Amino acid sequence: MPYYRCVAPKDAIPLEQRQRVAQAFTDVHCGMTGAPRNFVHVTFAANDQGEFAEPYYIDGGNRAGRPAELKERLLGELRRAFRDITGVPDDQLGGRITEGPASWSMEGGHVLPEPGEEGPEWRGHRVPQHGVVAAAEQSNR
Amino acid sequence: MAPSLWPALQSRLTDIAADVLGASPDRVEVEFEVIPHGFGFRGGELSTTSLVRGQIPPGCAQEVRVALMRTICDMWCAVTGCSVDELIVSARDRPAPDS
Repeated sequence: MPYYRCVAPKDAIPLEQRQRVAQAFTDVHCGMTGAPRNFVHVTFAANDQGEFAEPYYIDGGNRAGRPAELKERLLGELRRAFRDITGVPDDQLGGRITEGPASWSMEGGHVLPEPGEEGPEWRGHRVPQHGVVAAAEQSNR
Repeated sequence: MAPSLWPALQSRLTDIAADVLGASPDRVEVEFEVIPHGFGFRGGELSTTSLVRGQIPPGCAQEVRVALMRTICDMWCAVTGCSVDELIVSARDRPAPDS
């Protein structure tokens, strides 16, 4: 966490723009929350399942515990950055930020700290780079 | 990650859910989504991170949740060869049907 999943029509956002969006989202999130940069994950997926009403969507998931006003400003800044970089009109871009307790997630083998309680060990956390991200969804129904 | 690893990961995730949570194996679903190179970033840079997101019955004790996540971490790294720094595991409460 945070995890920002950008949904867009297939092939609509070229690599150069994806990279800029990822960097901008990292800047926005860390600038507004003080979270370590290596916490911020951004992925891009095709909106080919009709998952959202809007063709472009920012689906964010953050640790719980921040004021509602901050979350509202955060989403607004993410939307602005996405529009500025991609040129997507505002009425074609949806977005939301959902939250979950930090204690429900583990990174680097450690349970995540609450927002604002990240110690130096988290800020120096190594960031693996240049490869493929895979995700698995496990559901115990 | 090679798709050839998916069957082993699926089998091991099912076993872990059964062992740690007492889940019936036939009620554990595992799906994989590959995020191609150039579509996943961490800290603004291209990433090799894997994300294992699970939903579990609500009300699970935190020590059980941690045991589940830790066991998945150990298994995932052993099967895939990735480092623990390349892995995020979450075990969220499953939302209520009407939420």
